[in-house]
Amino acid sequence: MGTIRIENHEIPFREGDNILKTALAAGMEIPYFCYHTALGSLGACRLCAVEITPKDPGKAPQVVMACLEPARGGIEVSISSAAAQQVRQKVIEFLMTNHPHDCPVCDEGGECHLQEMTVACGPPYRRYRGRKRTFTNQYLGPLVHHEMNRCITCYRCTRFYQDYALGDDLGAMRLRNEVYFGRFQDGPLASPFAGNLVEICPTGVFTDAVFRQHFARVWDLKTAPSICPHCSIGCNTLPGARDGMLRRVRNRFHPDLNRWFICDRGRYGHQYSEHPARPLTSRVDGAKVSYRQALAAAAEQIKAVGDKTGGLGSVREDLEGNTLLRALLNGFNGIFTAFSDPRLEAATITAVTALQNTTGAPSLAEMEQADAALIVGDLTAHAPMIDLALRQAYRSGARLAVLHSGPTPLARFAATALAIPPHEMSVCLSHLSERAAAPSAANSNQKEMLANIVVSLTASHRPLLIGVTETLSASQIAVLAQLAAALGPGARLAYALPGANAYGAALLSQTGRATAMLEAIETGHIQNLIVAGNDPLGDTRLGARWRAARQRLDSLIVLDCVATATAEAADILIPVAAWAERSGTFVNYEGRAQGFTHTFRRPEFLPSTAEVIADLARHLELVLPDIAAALGDTFPGYQAPVPGAPGSPLPAPAIPMHIDTTIHQGCESHPGRWQAALSTWYGDDPLASFAPALTELVPAVAALISPAAALNEGIKAGERVRLQGPAGTVVLPVQPDNDVAAGTIALTRAVLAQLGAGHGDPLELEKVS
Amino acid sequence: MEAVLTHHLDINAPLNLQAYRAAGGYRSLNAAFDRKPEEIIETVEAANLRGRGGAGFSCGLKWRLRGADAPRPRYLICNIDESEPGTFKDRHLLYGGPHQIIEAVIVSAYALQAEQAVIFVRGEYAKGGNGLRRALEEAEIAGLVGTNIGGNGFDLQIEVHVSGGRYICGEETAMLNAIEGRRPNPRPKIPRPSVKGLWGYPTTTNNVETLVNVPHILLNGAAWFHDLGVNGGCGTKLFCVSGMVQHPGLFELPCGTSARELIFEHAGGLAEGRTLLGFLPGGASTAFLLPEHLDVPMDFDPVAKAGSRLGTGSIIVLDDTTCPVQVTLNLMRFFARESCGFCTPCRDGLPYLAQILTAIAAGEGQAEDLALLEELSDIIGPQSFCAFAPGAVTPLISSLQGFRKHYESHIATGRCPFDAADRNGA
Repeated sequence: MGTIRIENHEIPFREGDNILKTALAAGMEIPYFCYHTALGSLGACRLCAVEITPKDPGKAPQVVMACLEPARGGIEVSISSAAAQQVRQKVIEFLMTNHPHDCPVCDEGGECHLQEMTVACGPPYRRYRGRKRTFTNQYLGPLVHHEMNRCITCYRCTRFYQDYALGDDLGAMRLRNEVYFGRFQDGPLASPFAGNLVEICPTGVFTDAVFRQHFARVWDLKTAPSICPHCSIGCNTLPGARDGMLRRVRNRFHPDLNRWFICDRGRYGHQYSEHPARPLTSRVDGAKVSYRQALAAAAEQIKAVGDKTGGLGSVREDLEGNTLLRALLNGFNGIFTAFSDPRLEAATITAVTALQNTTGAPSLAEMEQADAALIVGDLTAHAPMIDLALRQAYRSGARLAVLHSGPTPLARFAATALAIPPHEMSVCLSHLSERAAAPSAANSNQKEMLANIVVSLTASHRPLLIGVTETLSASQIAVLAQLAAALGPGARLAYALPGANAYGAALLSQTGRATAMLEAIETGHIQNLIVAGNDPLGDTRLGARWRAARQRLDSLIVLDCVATATAEAADILIPVAAWAERSGTFVNYEGRAQGFTHTFRRPEFLPSTAEVIADLARHLELVLPDIAAALGDTFPGYQAPVPGAPGSPLPAPAIPMHIDTTIHQGCESHPGRWQAALSTWYGDDPLASFAPALTELVPAVAALISPAAALNEGIKAGERVRLQGPAGTVVLPVQPDNDVAAGTIALTRAVLAQLGAGHGDPLELEKVS
Repeated sequence: MEAVLTHHLDINAPLNLQAYRAAGGYRSLNAAFDRKPEEIIETVEAANLRGRGGAGFSCGLKWRLRGADAPRPRYLICNIDESEPGTFKDRHLLYGGPHQIIEAVIVSAYALQAEQAVIFVRGEYAKGGNGLRRALEEAEIAGLVGTNIGGNGFDLQIEVHVSGGRYICGEETAMLNAIEGRRPNPRPKIPRPSVKGLWGYPTTTNNVETLVNVPHILLNGAAWFHDLGVNGGCGTKLFCVSGMVQHPGLFELPCGTSARELIFEHAGGLAEGRTLLGFLPGGASTAFLLPEHLDVPMDFDPVAKAGSRLGTGSIIVLDDTTCPVQVTLNLMRFFARESCGFCTPCRDGLPYLAQILTAIAAGEGQAEDLALLEELSDIIGPQSFCAFAPGAVTPLISSLQGFRKHYESHIATGRCPFDAADRNGA
């Protein structure tokens, strides 16, 4: 580490860093377009010109590009020299020969890098007298709007889209001053990270198509630091609202998590809070009532049945809401859990326990440093930003191994991708774990591939194991943790958890409570159920059983901000604030508690879940600790994380690890001829499924089976099959897919809910003639 | 002087393997294999063979600097992406004698101990590329290319890559991208291609005319090569002469032959009654020279001393009926069109220059335009990413100096003095 003189300041630099990076890190401004911290130097825009004076007095000063020139000791750098300014001015003048002067009608206006640089560096007047070049724009789908005339050809879009996110349907075409950034033909962008084009583009070529529908100038937007509610990563976001309406969501830099980017679910999923069907008024027995009346009605119900009340929190409900609901239930010895599905309850709690008993899950930045990774399940749908982090690891040479039952985009980048039927996953994981502990000879092709995975993990310095909780059983999750332990202290373990606050929800729940609650309702021991942000009636596996159980309830009280099946069926519905409208805390997949604060208030009165519970307690004349005290009681030493700060580990006493990892051969090896696998896509979660722009992109619903299975059954692509599950039948066209395991039918969440089958459950398939 | 490089060329019926061998072809392989690779490099360096692609860098030095211990695999690229306006020498070599090229590539690859060579052929020379592929097939069948060539333990694969067809593909690093199937934008020059080139491995790129000299140097020695030149030049040079001359064409002449001899003896001089206005000595991206430079020897250093570059040795002649503004505009349009679109000064600056020149040529120029052209060129040339834009503004800058009064007259009179109507006295 030496020092370099920039504008007469001694600036320390790291060996190998260029002048631009060094200056920016020291807070000195050098204008630039094509450089980006995540994408590195390119040297195309020529805006970052600086003048350097070599140590040797015999050598004349020269203008160089700061992004390409290595920082060296002894040289003097001038940003403000006349020669450097002259170059920058000309670069802007050149760019402006074709850029339309349409700032007043451009969505980027007010937050346009080109606008700022032009004001800062450019000539005040236009000298070019020729015609401007014009392009035809493309339709790029519902998320990103295209306006090519504004392009300044910095190549950031393709460098992000192709080089960084490894997408292949957007690129640079043609040459000279007609370089065109787009698709080979009109159509929706296929990358789950396409929305980042909006932010990475330094001008208004790629703008937010959803924001555009209800556009507001950036200076008119109210913003506040927030946390993405759409999966367990906890990406930091900056929602922007105006006039009581959420308009858009942008990335907010977090040094260890999302940094410069977020996925499209995080950027566009927010539309759920503006969905026309969103409940905004309290209802009792279907009639609109005031919030007070609804509270009174709920209190009356609870008083009537006393301790025969259950509370169902949620993995997408914030820590405050879940904690206070549990505290309320504790008040009259009711049952609380955050899970409607006992399997998911056990799996999530096991995952959190496993993490508590190891070094904990790595951050996304750490995942990018992995040199080998084993992925079990489909990360693209369940934790898109882990997928993006692993794409970076892959770009740096990491060997990826993917075990999956249905399609998963990461398989394309995997050194080994094995399609494993859900019921064989346990055997497979156990085999890996045993092999890692004691190598033995492989005796089948699949075992040989598994052996190769172990070899690659063992040989690596920073191996990473990641499981998708929603498609794994508790024992499979435990086996994955054992495998991590067998690989030694360098191995890192992570799980994609089933919701933004799944980690927190798991710490408030206990294995077996979901079953106990369901049985208590079925036997009449619970007559009153309070549901906060959960949708048991829409559960993929147990929805039918919950719907039947609901008939036995005296009263179903639902607190939610989306119109789920459960909310629709509520006796008492109390609408609550969506995440951008309230303050709260989410605990992400690492156990990192991150606070968010309300960006705006809607015109309707919409309290947070915790506020509703507190009000309800007052109506019940129950002495309930306030939120801070309740959290302090549950998590000793708890300090509310400050919104906008990087978050802090949730202080939680570790649950001892005693998990049954024996494989129940009896129930796992004879699932019938066919079994279901959950196959979802990156835009799908209980909230984002109410976002119209995302749902426009939902892949066509089909029964995905392996081509070999299709051949075996004599079913051709597009032919229809009748699927029978415990709760019903569905007729669907068949789509052969190489990424689907043998004997497996990959289906969407909605189809599974109709069938009443979860991931790994047996199904019957019959060709419709 | 007896032709060396063009001796056996026949663009209508290039020699097949048998005929080429009968004419003495492929003899240099034995001469090469009898020596150590570093001896060959020494000989080539001693011969002072300078790069015929335009830069004029010493071929032997380039090879030596790659280093004998460079990691493997090593690549040799033979550049036949000849796209410079007015230049057609490599086309002659390609269409007229593909075996000469293959022989040159084999011995050069041996000197460099490269196991893979790529012959990069201009897109518009696709037919020539086909002929080259046929010749390569003959050579492969005869065991001249492949593994253990001539029982010598030397392995070489040669691939013929026909370009997608853009001027920029001839740029050394853009060519690497093109071969790798990427967009042919130039790459940063550090690390050098000789360190990290094609697919990330050491790569040496030479123009085809440079390489075809190597077998002859091996067979005849460095001193012989020196003696071929005149006025201090070494070897022969393929000169192209085009423009306002009576007999435009390709001439293999001693390196160092004067421009006067080339234009007035070999190319038949100007049409009756015309006088010389100026000429481009080395292709479109070199500075204009004036009649006073006619006696400059056409060799790298003397032409550079005269303020221009030997470039590809392709003379384009302007006589007193040629509007130099139109010629410059024509060149600028070419370069603006062929910019790869990577960096701002080149991509958006060259069309800007072309637009101003268009206005001047049409008689719509403004008084401040000449200063503006110079002001913009001063940034576009030095501040661009690769050597394309500096080359592109070179003829403009020299044209503004050498033919200033023509520009001023366009602007002052609001019309082109060379317009046919004006000349006819209308």
